[in-house]
Amino acid sequence: MGLDRHPVERYISWIGNAVQGDLGVSPRSGASINEMIGRRLPNSALLAFIAFVVAVPTSLAAGIFAGIYPDSRLDRFLSIGSLLTISVPEFIIGVILMLVFSSKLGWLPSSTIMLPGETIMSKPEVLVLPILTITGALFAYILRMARANVMEVMESNYVRTAVLKGIPMRQVVMKHVLPNALIPTITVIANNVGWMFGGLIVVEFVFAYPGVGSLLIMAIDTRDMRLLQSTAMVIASVYAFSNLAADLAYGLLNPRIRYG
Amino acid sequence: MTSLQSIRNTSSSVLTSLTVKGISKLLAFFSIASKTTSGRIGLFIVLIHFLLAVFGSFITPYSPTAFGAENLQHRLEGPTFAHPFGTDHFGRDVLSRVIAGARSIVWISVIGTTLGIFLGTVVGITSGYLGGWIDQISMRFMDWLLSFPSLLLALLLITIGAERFDIDESWLIIMVIGIAFMPNNSRVIRSASLTVKPLEFVQNARLRGEPLYYIVFREILPNVLPVIGVEATLRLSFALLLTASLGFLGLGVQPPTPDWGLMVSDGREFLSMAPWVALSPALAMGSLVIGVNLLADGIRQALQLPEVRSE
Amino acid sequence: MKKEREVLLSVAGLSVSFFTPRGTIRAVRDASFEVARGEVLGIVGESGCGKSTAAFAIMGYLPKTAEIEGSILFEGKSISDLDANELRSLRGNRIAMVYQDPTTSLNPSMKIGLQVAEVVLEHMDLSSSQTSDRVIELFESVGLADPDEIGNRYPHELSGGMQQRVMIAMALACDPDLLIMDEPTTGLDVTTEATILDLVASLKERVNAGILYVSHNLGVIARVADRVSVMYAGQTVEQSTVYELFDSPQHPYTAGLLSCVPKPPQEGGETTRLRRIPGFVFSSQESNDDLCLFSDRCPLANEKCMTQSPSVISSPHGSEVRCIRSHDVDSDIWGEVEQILGVPQSQSETVLMAEQLTHEYGKHQKKYVLFGPETSTPVRALNEVDFDVKKGRTLGIVGESGSGKSTLARAAVGLIEARSGTIKLHNESLANKVENRSQDERSAIQMVFQNPTASLNPKLRIRNTILRSLRRFAGLGRDESQLRAEELMLAVGLDPSYLDRLPSELSGGEQQRVAIAGAFSANPEVVVADEAVSSLDVSVQAQVLNLLEDRQKELGNSYLFISHDLGVVRYLSDEIMVIYAGYVAEYGPSSSVLSLPSHPYTEALLSAAPVPDPTVESNSLRLEGAVPTMRERFQGCFFASRCPRKLGSICDDSPPPSQDAGEGNGHVISCHIPVKELSAVQS
Repeated sequence: MGLDRHPVERYISWIGNAVQGDLGVSPRSGASINEMIGRRLPNSALLAFIAFVVAVPTSLAAGIFAGIYPDSRLDRFLSIGSLLTISVPEFIIGVILMLVFSSKLGWLPSSTIMLPGETIMSKPEVLVLPILTITGALFAYILRMARANVMEVMESNYVRTAVLKGIPMRQVVMKHVLPNALIPTITVIANNVGWMFGGLIVVEFVFAYPGVGSLLIMAIDTRDMRLLQSTAMVIASVYAFSNLAADLAYGLLNPRIRYG
Repeated sequence: MTSLQSIRNTSSSVLTSLTVKGISKLLAFFSIASKTTSGRIGLFIVLIHFLLAVFGSFITPYSPTAFGAENLQHRLEGPTFAHPFGTDHFGRDVLSRVIAGARSIVWISVIGTTLGIFLGTVVGITSGYLGGWIDQISMRFMDWLLSFPSLLLALLLITIGAERFDIDESWLIIMVIGIAFMPNNSRVIRSASLTVKPLEFVQNARLRGEPLYYIVFREILPNVLPVIGVEATLRLSFALLLTASLGFLGLGVQPPTPDWGLMVSDGREFLSMAPWVALSPALAMGSLVIGVNLLADGIRQALQLPEVRSE
Repeated sequence: MKKEREVLLSVAGLSVSFFTPRGTIRAVRDASFEVARGEVLGIVGESGCGKSTAAFAIMGYLPKTAEIEGSILFEGKSISDLDANELRSLRGNRIAMVYQDPTTSLNPSMKIGLQVAEVVLEHMDLSSSQTSDRVIELFESVGLADPDEIGNRYPHELSGGMQQRVMIAMALACDPDLLIMDEPTTGLDVTTEATILDLVASLKERVNAGILYVSHNLGVIARVADRVSVMYAGQTVEQSTVYELFDSPQHPYTAGLLSCVPKPPQEGGETTRLRRIPGFVFSSQESNDDLCLFSDRCPLANEKCMTQSPSVISSPHGSEVRCIRSHDVDSDIWGEVEQILGVPQSQSETVLMAEQLTHEYGKHQKKYVLFGPETSTPVRALNEVDFDVKKGRTLGIVGESGSGKSTLARAAVGLIEARSGTIKLHNESLANKVENRSQDERSAIQMVFQNPTASLNPKLRIRNTILRSLRRFAGLGRDESQLRAEELMLAVGLDPSYLDRLPSELSGGEQQRVAIAGAFSANPEVVVADEAVSSLDVSVQAQVLNLLEDRQKELGNSYLFISHDLGVVRYLSDEIMVIYAGYVAEYGPSSSVLSLPSHPYTEALLSAAPVPDPTVESNSLRLEGAVPTMRERFQGCFFASRCPRKLGSICDDSPPPSQDAGEGNGHVISCHIPVKELSAVQS
């Protein structure tokens, strides 16, 4: 196994193999790391994707409404609600949801531990609580960003121009407010995807979800450094890739920086 | 002997003047914070937590770390007059443990944030004012740090740090918070100092032939202080969340010292029969971060700074 | 001959108050005016006089915290009685508005063609192809080049002048009955302003609408208005026809405003000193129960003015004035006309000199972005500029924005390190960067900036700012410098008690005085003033100009005075340099530069500048477009792309010679056209 070699030397040879797609073998369990990550990565991707699809449109819609009608009753409710959820870490949201929906009401399973032969697809109900937890945290965050940006654009001179053109309010919002308010909102969201990744690790751990995040924590608990390096590298590269994608999307949305 | 005395005298007078300055700055901060309702509520909550963090060990009704046969007789008892928050699985008083737990999380987060703000301010303000290759190199380094999600960075640094060095885990977490928050802080402060830099009063200082330190610390720094203040409160809430999450994942302060995150994690096992074990530290945690966030909102409103900074 | 006057809009006793946590702000107190079809009513006043608020009140567009009293009748119907739908069908359709800042008033992420089409589609019953024809027709009517294609562009791809034309096209889209223009040329270059004003003047004949034109600039009002309403502190104080108003103002404020504006010197005469209105506009936070709001600044004010609110007096021929002493108003209530004592015309020594000063922004570099390489070339801002500033004299520098004047100012003091060329102080070469100059050299050249608010550190009290300068420059002890600071404050006309204030507690004019005091604390030989009065109201501008002049007379220092405003430059300068795209177009003694023979660019600037006199026929010489961004050196003449007198290929192919105008006073013109031909008036 080459344990007699210097750690730096071992690390360099690991990097060399990792670049070629071979993450090696976990010294603790003796299993192939490629296979462990390969099995769990789709699970994490599924969780992240559904959470994103649920959280982003609903929170944007709520944020836009709150920004157009600041100080309305719904806006106050949303502001207080988002302050609460933004102030509570994901694991607490998760534990409270667990308490309510599985311990007290017994509607949903409290963990996602799979029996042999079971997959996420065969037990989709296990996804509900993790998704709700991530949504709860993301919702508040996106809502606050969207609200602030919409309010700023509502104050702008060009929205005044649009209102004084005599076009209906709905058209003012759809054509003049939203395109300009969503560009910065999306950038800010994209710049903070890393925050969601951190949340994902915690949520997977809370619900014992078979994803890359809980694998990372397992590696830490068992002091399996090679597995830790591998999972960390995979998470960091997915994160870097999503940041790049967000930058490109921003370029497509904003005509002012579309000059190559 | 005399020279030593005179050094001691001057240093004590410098210290007093610094303390006086610090107190007046603190009072100014309070008066800004209490201009808005949310600022007042936030300040109140935060002050209570800080008092608990400082004096908590004197007012806990029971020993938070007691461990013995007589405790074990009172395992997982519900809230009573004697134990308002109940007892945990070792029969320890949950209220005492929550009060005692404030200390580690508050100090770790406050010192960690201060470290991050300090590093970020130094890097941000100097690279913003100097520009050129210093700016390029330091910002590329910050970008590189930013390319790790902060929780991942923290997990890696703590695991590696615990493996390689023999440091108390509290200091490790403090350093991790400082390093993890430095890039964002330095970016925000750099962009603030970039907006101040071309202003005419800074140009006037150049025309007077002022040295670099004067321009940076006397002309630019006071004008980016509001931005730093809001940034610090915002980061403090992130630091609290990060510290608690680390504790929850078992990487925080090690037992038997009470840690809110770990208490929630331990309490999960008894969630259906003794929810108070997990909910009490969760409540404490939530109220503290809500207080900090309200305070940040209050200061931002009072100083009329925008909520969104596009970088 | 005269048709029946059809009144479209009548505003009577309008007052608008805003309730804020810091108290009630009375933006408009008592405004009354009328706009009839086919006429232009100009509303004029300094900033804070409530002009714009009144305009937005007519559109029914004020924040919810506003409380409106009085009546606004459009075709006899009250605007405030309309419901949301009625208001919407009026806006953009029958009443349209053009705003002050076109760049922020256009939606940045929407093509301009769509932005105009939106109004047409909403209010006119047209098919989509008819709509696009209408949009093209509108673009053509406001003089936009390439009307078929321009609609596909985004606002940021257009210059400020073009953006304002788009806004005007949008306002004209549905042939409105009432057009409100709120400072439409403020912030644009003089040359662009002139072309927009021509467009407005042509609208008067083409469009059968009433126009309400709001401006702080008396010259602009004189160009476009038929009747003028003067506002002061939210009240209409005088109203009459444009000729009457400029010829014989009835209100002391109007008379004061007119005497504050620098006018061209009488033929062969000396420049006369500007008269000034002391003090500042009556605070909008105060209430106005029983006094004339202008009484604390008025030279005619008596007991009665302080205790009784004057009512509006109408004269038989339709003019109105809010003053009980209007019969005593004449041209010299603001002081006798003083001749400026000219500095002896003998040759004086050169203090500051620049040789071949050249600067460019950016570096030559290749950038590789995601989709292929892109080369960036530096922008040339100054090209081998020579000038010299003589002792006790003023060198004025004029040009449009982008002409390189600010770069010149900053390079002279060393805030920008010029790429090449030398700056000499008393014939000794200076380092190009201020950090590399000695403290004595720094103190010899000081600067006053355009934006007074940004010139003072907002966190420091005035005393600290001034004392810091004194310590750095004069090396005075504590007591001495305290004394000197008080002297400096008195010298710039401020009470020494101001030393203990923060900059935010001062008005713009006061802040600029403090900035001037700071510059003079170094006992400078040369003060570089970069647009130092441009952001100030006319009455305050006159105060500061007089202050600069007094300091020079007393201390014998020199000025390098930079401005886009020819009137101001002409007032203060002994010599003038006209620059364009970083090249010197014309240089010489003021009177020579401002009279023929002239460089075609100087001529265009002169004819574009609005004159506060409605009887002056405007010269029709106009420049289109903006100063080009110069990346490569011009092959031929720098001005060839916009020159109205371009000769032909010679202008494109070879750089113009520097011709001596033959007056024996160093007047030079860089142009291919022979001096003799340049002496003939163009139009």
